[in-house]
Amino acid sequence: MTERVLPVLDDPETAGFWAAAAEHRLVVRACAACGKEHHLPRAFCADCGTVSDHWVDVPPRGRLVSWTTVQHQVHPGYPTPYTVLLVELEDRPGMRMVGQLPGQPVTPLTAGQPVEAWFEHVDDTVLPQWRPTEGEWSS
Amino acid sequence: MTWRPGSCAVVGIGATDFSKDSGRSPLTLAAQAAHAALADAGLTAADVDGIVRCDMDTIYPAALAEALGVPDLGYWGDAGPGGSGPAAMVGQAVAAIEAGLATTVVVFRALNGRSGLRYGKGAATDVRAGGEASYEDLYLPYGMQTAGQFFALLAQDHMNRYGKTQEGLAEIALACREHANANPAAQFHDRTMTEESYYASRMLSTPLRLFDYCLESDGAAAVVVTSAERAADLRQKPAYVASVAQAAGPEPQPGLMFPMLTRTEMLTTPAVDCARRLFGRAGLTAADVDVAQIYDCFTITVLLQLEDYGFCGRGEGGEFAAAGHLRLSGDLPINTSGGHMSEAYIHGMNHVVEGVRQVRGTSTAQVPGAQVSLVTSAPPPGASALLLTAEAS
Repeated sequence: MTERVLPVLDDPETAGFWAAAAEHRLVVRACAACGKEHHLPRAFCADCGTVSDHWVDVPPRGRLVSWTTVQHQVHPGYPTPYTVLLVELEDRPGMRMVGQLPGQPVTPLTAGQPVEAWFEHVDDTVLPQWRPTEGEWSS
Repeated sequence: MTWRPGSCAVVGIGATDFSKDSGRSPLTLAAQAAHAALADAGLTAADVDGIVRCDMDTIYPAALAEALGVPDLGYWGDAGPGGSGPAAMVGQAVAAIEAGLATTVVVFRALNGRSGLRYGKGAATDVRAGGEASYEDLYLPYGMQTAGQFFALLAQDHMNRYGKTQEGLAEIALACREHANANPAAQFHDRTMTEESYYASRMLSTPLRLFDYCLESDGAAAVVVTSAERAADLRQKPAYVASVAQAAGPEPQPGLMFPMLTRTEMLTTPAVDCARRLFGRAGLTAADVDVAQIYDCFTITVLLQLEDYGFCGRGEGGEFAAAGHLRLSGDLPINTSGGHMSEAYIHGMNHVVEGVRQVRGTSTAQVPGAQVSLVTSAPPPGASALLLTAEAS
């Protein structure tokens, strides 16, 4: 299998996300001074003007918002079909992440169904991933 | 200083042929389109003192000035990102003219979008994704690598919440193709589409099929902008800029595209805020629009903008499109040259050119007596739009 695309691990805005993932922790960025959570993660807090590098653990649970099963291959490292899930973190409106599963759902997906995070090891990198908690899947 | 509706006008339009392999550089394409636009206006390179480009163009203003033979370029600018540029690019030309920084401005977009840099090809294979606060690292490794996959998520979300989405998408594709079939310059001029062939087209990224996608094209388009006073003495009937607007909306998000998936209201695009500004500046409403060139990288992009620009209610885009309003026989004909999906993908600039044709009365799918012509550029990540009118105000 051709190599997958891996994330940079040293972008000052997102490095903490990947560092936590390596420890199988799911985190979002929060201002060290006022606690305001920033997703997408960023160092500068517009609420108080503080620049910080602080992260808080969040439960590895969410709800499915949308999805697409990719059938047209554009990257050799990503054989089709595969399905991208857009999920929203539990109790955090608008805080959304994507996950990817090989194959496609057999049981039709529904908006709002529960999803859980899992951690995928690819070479030296750990990707927080997502999957439905129920239903059949064909890979 | 307040906005002056109709203070400036588009006085020249030009384009190259549209193809899969131009065999020419973007510089040559840009020069050809700009030269044609100047000739159309009855002007020469010596009259040009300003050039505005798209931020994703590979050609810089001074390069085009050289290729065209502009002797003394005194103003340049660029706007974007990408497809949200063209209307804003015309806006920059107007702003420069109104501020006394230029008198005659060429606005252009040139690309070898099929034979050269293809936007549909997805992520590179040999580098890690992300960095420089692009946030691509949060998406590309997950196989979220093209604009089509991004818009597929929006389309599925719309289907989850509202009705008639699929029927609307089909009708948008069919309307654009029907209009392209009347336009000899359109890449798909000779290729008809039926409802059957739409549904038979290959599924690329559910729920979007091949015919929900725009073309990839080589070509260029350009317009010339000058003051209304000067426009009165030129060759063509002026298309007055009644209004131009840009908007990034609430929670615009960083990056170029994928981060928009974290906007709280994912299906409400910045076009809403752009529309408020656009119609407000012109003293017009959506009901006044006779014809619209709506940015169509995908069918769903059009459907969302029908709601955002106020042609129908929130969630009613599918129903509105499916009702047939978007054809030449309907009350809101769209993309009358075929748009990105059936004419060519010139990154929103061919829409500006066609918007001018409608005001002039020279389109191959002319709306009789069109007075108010809307042109939209993108989203994402921001939106810009133009209202062109047949009368100065």
